[in-house]
Amino acid sequence: MTVEYIGAFQVILGVIARFWPVWLAMAIVVGASIYYKKKLGLYGQIYDNNVGIAGVLICFFWLFTAIFSSTVAPFDPLAQVPVMKDALPGAIVPDTGAVYYFGGDKLARDVFSRMVYGSQIVLIIAPAATAFALMVGATLGLPAGYYGGRIDSVLSFLANLVLAFPVILLFYLLVTPGIVETGLPVWLAGLFFLFPIIFFVALFYTRFKNRPERLYLLLGLTILIGGWIYVGLVFDADPLGIVSIDPNQLNIFVAVVFASSPGVFRIVRGLVMDIKTRDYIAAAQTRGESPWYIMLWEILPNARGPLIVDACLRIGYTTILLGTLGYFGLGLAPESPDWGTAIKDASRLLRATIHPALPPTIALMSFVLGLNLLADALREQSLKD
Amino acid sequence: MNEVVKPSAVQGSQPILEIENLSISFFTKRGEIPAVMDFSCAVQPGEAMGIVGESGCGKSTVSLGIMRDLSNIGKIVGGKIRFKGKDMGEMSQEELRSIRGNEIAMIYQEPMASLNPAMKVGQQLMEVPILHDKVSKEEAYKRALETVRAVRLPDPERMIRSYPHQLSGGQQQRIVIAMALLSKPALLLLDEPTTALDVTVEAGIVELVKGLGKQFGTSMIFVSHNLGLILETCDRITVMYSGEAVETGRIKDVFDRMRHPYTQGLFRSIPLPGADKNARPLIAIPGQLPLPHQRPKGCNFGPRCQHFVKGRCDADEIPMIPVEGHEGHFSRCIRFNEIDWAALPEGARKSSEPVKPGAPVLKIDDLKKYYRVVANEVFGGSGEGRVVKANEAISFEARESETVAIVGESGCGKSTLAKVLLGLETASSGKVTLGNSQIQSTGIELRDVKTVSSIQMVFQNPFDTLNPSHSVGSQIIRTLEKFGVGKSVADRRNRMFELLDLVKLPRAFAERMPRQLSGGQKQRIGVARAFAGSAKVVVADEPVSALDVSVQAAVTELLMDIQRKNKTTMLFISHDLSVVRYIADRVVVMYLGHIVEQGTTDQIFAPPYHPYTEALLSAIPIADTSVVKKHIVLEGDIPSAMNPPPGCPFQTRCRWKKFVPGNKCETQLPPLKALSDGHMSLCWLDDEQLATMEPVISFDAEHAAHEGMPEDAPHGSGPGFAGEPPQRPHGKRASAGAGEDEDSFAQSEARGHARAHEQRDDRSEDFGASRTANSGVGPISPLQVGDGRQADDADVPSAFEDDERPEDEPKR
Repeated sequence: MTVEYIGAFQVILGVIARFWPVWLAMAIVVGASIYYKKKLGLYGQIYDNNVGIAGVLICFFWLFTAIFSSTVAPFDPLAQVPVMKDALPGAIVPDTGAVYYFGGDKLARDVFSRMVYGSQIVLIIAPAATAFALMVGATLGLPAGYYGGRIDSVLSFLANLVLAFPVILLFYLLVTPGIVETGLPVWLAGLFFLFPIIFFVALFYTRFKNRPERLYLLLGLTILIGGWIYVGLVFDADPLGIVSIDPNQLNIFVAVVFASSPGVFRIVRGLVMDIKTRDYIAAAQTRGESPWYIMLWEILPNARGPLIVDACLRIGYTTILLGTLGYFGLGLAPESPDWGTAIKDASRLLRATIHPALPPTIALMSFVLGLNLLADALREQSLKD
Repeated sequence: MNEVVKPSAVQGSQPILEIENLSISFFTKRGEIPAVMDFSCAVQPGEAMGIVGESGCGKSTVSLGIMRDLSNIGKIVGGKIRFKGKDMGEMSQEELRSIRGNEIAMIYQEPMASLNPAMKVGQQLMEVPILHDKVSKEEAYKRALETVRAVRLPDPERMIRSYPHQLSGGQQQRIVIAMALLSKPALLLLDEPTTALDVTVEAGIVELVKGLGKQFGTSMIFVSHNLGLILETCDRITVMYSGEAVETGRIKDVFDRMRHPYTQGLFRSIPLPGADKNARPLIAIPGQLPLPHQRPKGCNFGPRCQHFVKGRCDADEIPMIPVEGHEGHFSRCIRFNEIDWAALPEGARKSSEPVKPGAPVLKIDDLKKYYRVVANEVFGGSGEGRVVKANEAISFEARESETVAIVGESGCGKSTLAKVLLGLETASSGKVTLGNSQIQSTGIELRDVKTVSSIQMVFQNPFDTLNPSHSVGSQIIRTLEKFGVGKSVADRRNRMFELLDLVKLPRAFAERMPRQLSGGQKQRIGVARAFAGSAKVVVADEPVSALDVSVQAAVTELLMDIQRKNKTTMLFISHDLSVVRYIADRVVVMYLGHIVEQGTTDQIFAPPYHPYTEALLSAIPIADTSVVKKHIVLEGDIPSAMNPPPGCPFQTRCRWKKFVPGNKCETQLPPLKALSDGHMSLCWLDDEQLATMEPVISFDAEHAAHEGMPEDAPHGSGPGFAGEPPQRPHGKRASAGAGEDEDSFAQSEARGHARAHEQRDDRSEDFGASRTANSGVGPISPLQVGDGRQADDADVPSAFEDDERPEDEPKR
């Protein structure tokens, strides 16, 4: 059976057409953002900057691709059409007439669809893991920087210990079946996922201590929602059955949070040490504020600029890390469509066929580039203030 | 275009620098922002020109424009700068480079930033002649050593071998000056060269700079915000406002007979000798400096000027108009011949009753604060740390509605004292009694709400005092919540609005973020916050030193107004003795952790002094041409608190040491000696020597007469000024009932003495009667003191309208 092909121009047109929900969503969001940019604070200021616009566009592109994957992708990421094995870009599936825009991989799956679905995994794990790392790093970095002394020494020492340990080795250890069987990753997950709950409880408690009606509501909500997600993620025992995570993904999640929270810790600690010398901190102290109120409400909001920039860069870094993990075959299931795994699979046969390797590589690269541009623009804008 | 101004001080000689109608703009994304407009001046050889103005008026831009060192967005858009007759606009980059640092040298504000921290001082100095004169290394070294000697640095050989960080701030600035002098420049640009330095160190630098003109024949342009410094260093002055020169002329003409309302406003808002917080308060300039793109048509100062006439002042651009009878005196005011220069702004209050201090609110008794500096915190703990004695045996007390000033230079321990009072630190030993309770060892977290709210602080840096992330209103509400004021959120909101009224800010400011406020407005919010819980004691840590002159006056008056109403005790921490003399009832002078002298303001500002107070007094620049100061320049720098000298803390710099027999100064800490009632000094000098001390600041009566000052002018009778016998006969002039026809000054003087008497009486009561009886009188309990004030404050008019008015004109 011979496979027919469409031309390169048609491939490009076809791909652009497939992304139609993404274009539509981007047009609406970006249009609205530019229209209301004066009211949007730091986010609105990004649009004053060409670099920022480029960064935002790339990030939105991947965000909406992840959201609309099922519409954008013509095929199931795991569906195999035997005849399409290693098919070149633009190959037409004989029976249905649908096109493998970027060709087929060695297992005859559509590379384009896999790339689109891959964005979903990357865009869920990378930002979420970064957010958790931020929470862990901030919750530990604040007291270390604020109190200094022994607390700082101990926490900094632990952070240095993690930072000094080779990352890849760490990952190998964390996802090795032997280690997984001991339950260590689950315990670590239990520990890390506790931090956001502690963080929000402390946040609300310090602020509304004197206003019980508000406090109990917020604390109740935090513990309820936090606990629900916590039980679902860590013990996979969500009573409603909505929140659950694949054990492999949980492992990766834990590994990423574990590896990047010391970095956040150091940044937060440094920022706190700088900000705590300001007069408004002394003013808060002299009106008898508790240390945690000062850390969470007086210091942390003023550390947000560098932290946002760092978060952007860190999401990019985590994305690459996921790719690396995927490349080493760690963590995610072998048939997972995420970009790292896809690159690994394609690289085995790189000499024979290049085309299955290119789309995930370019996707990974462009997403990280977009985040970096965004971070640059944010840094520039926050310096202007 | 306006007429070209060519003031020529020395006939026939060519000016070193001539600026004609210079205009500089910055080009940003939002378009052209004019920073300097139509600026003209000429500097003759050997002459010093002072440029004065508030922040944002373009004075630094002018000096950078002369160097042609504007950043890439700044551009000279009009006018000419001629250096030695040659137009700098036509010079090539090559020529400019050979002039910069060679013929025109510049000295910046921050000495540490001007020196390369990675190079030894000597190398940096030698670079100048090697680069510009192409001399050999040996020759360069010789010249460097010579100049280091010329700037009067001790031990020049050692200096030259040091790195910048091994020198103190004053020494660094001397090195920077030496570097500027090495190429024997024809013109020296000094941009706020002493702002970052301590007062006594500043005095040394000023003397050095003054000598340079004579010694090397260097012309100088001295940019500063401090009129007193300009008076001491310059021959001519240019006053700038909002990008324009508004008045220029010889120092004497401008200081004694200013002909622009802005210049007059500046002089009225600084506490010159003679200003008095009760009888002759400062007058702030209303309003704010217009933003560069919001400048009004016509006179830029129009909207803030009391003499503004619609249709004339805002009709057209106003040129520099020569002032008759003065050579080279120009003013950018179209009406200066019509204005009644003695008129005071409308609505200015005449005077207010002096406040009677009540019973002691805060007592500090033998307070000590030591810090232990541990070498290594991680693994240390075993090794013995060094001890820094930040506060040594501090004892004084402050009464209800009294202002006690704590004066001293950096590192004297005044901020540590504030920290201990506020509970941010706990005392090592001694007692601090606030009301009935001892608070010296209660940290802020252990204090109850009442104690916390009754002692509050106003911070120094307006840009740091508010949290940039929260709105102004929410920050005040949080404070109220913390102090337990109001029962509900709505209650606190109302109270917050009342506090905004109290500090004369519009209520709409509650929604604003701190970055939308000017420095003065932020400081007002800081004041509102400190008074939120009806504080009994407010510690004000240099609350106005970072503000512009005209704003300083407004904030100072505001502080005192609120203090008067609430009967608050204020501890006013400052290094600026002119503000202190104006605001304080009693003064505590600190040096290296010790109180070296304390007494009433009159006692402190009149001999006999403590030698350190004498030097401090001599160091403050006073913007008054009729003042004659004795020049006392201290040698060396303040010793480190880590390693204080043995014996008297001041012995290393004291000029009176030689009068003390033996080596008592070096070996033994002097006793606190009572000079007169309530006046104590930490010194070994005996009465005989103390009696020989002359007043540091006195008035030149002849000069005053020459100026034609009004009869009741403050000359010669201000607190602590000459014209009165040094041993002031208490009550001589203040005897029963100062007549109504007696001049106002005698009255205030009388009040001062009366006050002194009262204080004495109180004190004797204090020590006589038992403590408990005294505290039972109940000055301490009125935490509610300020709560009743809301009613009177509700109708406070909006900002600046009721600024106070002095009895008579300051200098004209």
